Amino acid sequence: MCGIVGYIGNKPAQPVLFKCLARLEYRGYDSCGIAVAGNGIDLQKDRLRVGELVKKVPLLEGMTGVGHTRWATCGEPSAANAHPHLDCSGCIAVVHNGIISNFQELQQQLTDEGHHFLSQTDTEVLPHLIEKYYQGNLEEAVAAALKDIEGSYAIVVLREGESKLVVARKDSPLIVGIGDQENFAASDVPAILDYTNRVVYLEEEDIGVITNSGIEIRQNGSVIRRKEHKIPWSVDEAQKAGYEHFMLKEIHEQPRVIRDTLIGYGHEIAPIIDLESMRDTGTEAMLFVACGTSYHAGLVGKCIFEELLGIPVRVELASEFNYYPQTLAKTMSIVITQSGETADTIKATRRLQEKGCHVLAITNVVGSTISRIADLTLYTQAGPEISVASTKSFIAELVALYWLAMSYSIADIKRLADMLMTLRQLPNTVQQVLDNKSGIKQCGEYLAGYDNIFFIGRGINYPVALEGALKLKEISYIHAEGYAAGELKHGPFALLDKDTPVVAVVAKDNTYEAMLNNIREIKTRGAPVIALVENGDESVGEMADFVISVPKVGLIFSPIVNSVVLQLLAYYAAEKRGCPIDFPRNLAKSVTVE
Amino acid sequence: MKQAVILAAGEGRRLRPFTVNKPKAMISIAGAPILQYVVESLAQNGIRDIVLVVGYRKEQIFDCMGSGEQFGVDIKYVTQERQLGTTHALSKAKAAVNDEFLVLPGDKLIEADTIAQIAAARPEAILVKKMEDPFRSAVVTIENGMIKEATRPERRVSTQSREPGIQIVNTGIYCLSRAILDYLKDEPSIPAALNSVIADGGKIRALETASTWLDVVYPWDILSLNGAVLRRVQGQLGGIIETGVTIKGLVSVDENTIIKSNCYIAGPVVIGRGCEIGPNVCILPATSIGDNVVIAPFTEVENSVIGSDVSVGPGSIIQDSVIDKGCAITGHLSAISGETEIKIDGYHRVKVGAMLGEGCSLGSNVVAMPGVIAGNYTQVKALKLISGQTPDRSLVV
Repeated sequence: MCGIVGYIGNKPAQPVLFKCLARLEYRGYDSCGIAVAGNGIDLQKDRLRVGELVKKVPLLEGMTGVGHTRWATCGEPSAANAHPHLDCSGCIAVVHNGIISNFQELQQQLTDEGHHFLSQTDTEVLPHLIEKYYQGNLEEAVAAALKDIEGSYAIVVLREGESKLVVARKDSPLIVGIGDQENFAASDVPAILDYTNRVVYLEEEDIGVITNSGIEIRQNGSVIRRKEHKIPWSVDEAQKAGYEHFMLKEIHEQPRVIRDTLIGYGHEIAPIIDLESMRDTGTEAMLFVACGTSYHAGLVGKCIFEELLGIPVRVELASEFNYYPQTLAKTMSIVITQSGETADTIKATRRLQEKGCHVLAITNVVGSTISRIADLTLYTQAGPEISVASTKSFIAELVALYWLAMSYSIADIKRLADMLMTLRQLPNTVQQVLDNKSGIKQCGEYLAGYDNIFFIGRGINYPVALEGALKLKEISYIHAEGYAAGELKHGPFALLDKDTPVVAVVAKDNTYEAMLNNIREIKTRGAPVIALVENGDESVGEMADFVISVPKVGLIFSPIVNSVVLQLLAYYAAEKRGCPIDFPRNLAKSVTVE
Repeated sequence: MKQAVILAAGEGRRLRPFTVNKPKAMISIAGAPILQYVVESLAQNGIRDIVLVVGYRKEQIFDCMGSGEQFGVDIKYVTQERQLGTTHALSKAKAAVNDEFLVLPGDKLIEADTIAQIAAARPEAILVKKMEDPFRSAVVTIENGMIKEATRPERRVSTQSREPGIQIVNTGIYCLSRAILDYLKDEPSIPAALNSVIADGGKIRALETASTWLDVVYPWDILSLNGAVLRRVQGQLGGIIETGVTIKGLVSVDENTIIKSNCYIAGPVVIGRGCEIGPNVCILPATSIGDNVVIAPFTEVENSVIGSDVSVGPGSIIQDSVIDKGCAITGHLSAISGETEIKIDGYHRVKVGAMLGEGCSLGSNVVAMPGVIAGNYTQVKALKLISGQTPDRSLVV
């Protein structure tokens, strides 16, 4: 997982490259570098974050350049392993996102032919291969080099003395930004929004030549025209605007995200997409596949779909599912990925399609890889999410799942009308949680003092407990475990004492009495309890050490408000601990490697 | 003059319940908060460098205004954690201001014309306006075009008295230089600090405006603000307008909204995004409706402000009312306008309908008496009558 950029135009390239790279840091940030073609190729790279490298580097001359921000997958984070990588002559610079699986053979072969390697990365074979094939035409050399490569790539290539960039992609994202007398290449759209909102998405195995006056894209050697898209996002949406962290900003955007997602789906509870065609496959079961936070959305989705559609739903982690022998052939499948680039989810999608499944993708990124390979795509309207910890995209995925389930529900009309009314008021209900966050802040700061924390829930709020624990551990580095409340007795009870607080999500549904019993059991072990309860629920207050009241929203929608509470809880715990909330160590925003 | 400092940290206690969860500057009319109109007026006068002093419920302002990009301005935020008066607020902005700058309140409706003159002026100057029966502390005295007294002391401490008749008042809009900042620390309010400037022999010009400058003090003032904003509505119909809908006057309907058959809409009316109106709904002047609002059949809305995410059930009648965001009204609500006496800081005789805070839920056939002010998240069971003022989270059974 890395971010790449390229610039060619009428401005000094260096400041543009750094600004774009800074916006790509969510994709990885263990090292970064740029190469600018001026008098020869000037290379600057180090094991630093973009903001640190900017301060270190002198102004390089040249109006063409490439840049890279890295998240190490092959070769440890170091200055030598940082991109760009050069060939032996130092004339060709390459930035790469992806994995070259046959790089060891290629490296051996190239070394035998006299090439000299400086890093442990897979990427470095690329500039040497291009050098090998170069006979006066850069794009032909790139095309020849890519024929030797197995694996995934998005690359931008620069050669000294040639006023062009060559770009190519396969299984990794790459877009081209169209400016006025200047053009851009980048891993995603927000990177270039400071300069232009006109974008061309490259397709699989496209090879493009970018000059400052235009782009020419070839596929299998023949020129092809790709459509230009205007992006409605403003760069404003990718900035913090007053907040201390993107995560807090994104948490506060959730009321608007819910509203925008709902407005995007229309007025009536009517199928927004043609699921019927998927139903024709003749099976009455569904399969959800996702990773990380999206997997938790899938688990909530299971409860919603099973209740409203009355059919069984299986939820799988994409990273595991890809190794299972059985795929559930011919099921209706829903894959969920915020970025639309999650490698495991994409692989699972391809595998399902090979087995004859129709796949519906839920994603936040228009034009992402998943949206182009899935049979149908349902977009969420969360806007770009910068914080590594997903918040608003999770809520938007839940709204999409609610809407989808309601569209095909077999529940009676009256119940659906009530649900629709609740759904429409959700933006305000979530706002209510945000407006009363001082109690949550207090609990978050309390949790910051502990090293081990359990999150428990039951039924539809069990995945909420899992997500709450995930949020806490990823940004505050506190060890947290999400558990189904009834499972505590089967082991974890041994860990409970006065130093292991338990956060209990209590819903007034058929799990209520059982949850109260669980809390009683926990209290007898002396563990502090923070309980999330519906407004007006008095009976938990006597048992719990802290009570966080959440607005009543009816049973099926409780995961939305409870999740927002747990997001804030994690945020304030991390803030109290002084953690780098938006960029937690060792993590990248979307995982584009398996 | 290319910079402005907007003071938007204040709460607006007399506007409760509408200011419990948002600062006064974020009270929303026709799809935009008061603060946004101020920022747009500045942009129209070519002032694009804006420092926003925020405090109370500042996240709401961050969410709405962002970096200013969408309004064509550049916004820097400065936080005033505790609201200790306008001089304190301005002193927080000290590090961010240039040699000359405008100071404006973020919670008054100000049009582009209103500030054209002072935007072009040199420091020091105060924008003044003639008003009827204003608060005594706002009244200024002028001699030969220069301010003699920027504020008058109250007769009694801790009360706000009225000065009868047509008076010239301070609009809270100033053109100042950095030198003034030295006077800030000893005085609670900017006018008081300016009095010390005058006492030291400083000259402050008075510039008078006749254009819109509207303050919102009490909940029912939101309706006059609505009237003023809707005067400049531009008619444009987005979304879906079904056949048989009658539209008269200036009506603005935003994208993804559907107006169903046989609705009758007489402008000025503004309807936001993603709403579902009708069939057979009557919307009369001057009404503004937020985003994601449902108004069910046979409902009449007149001269009212309806916030986002509100659902109004069938057969309701809503006149001269303010319904804040997220209210769920089951149906057959009767919120008829009438003259009534309301007690907030003394008694006020006003003609008004119902004022409902955020997230209220009303059962069917509720009668809301004129002048009722229901706190946020008030729940009212079916067939109940509500009147007077209820605190937040009241339950009417």
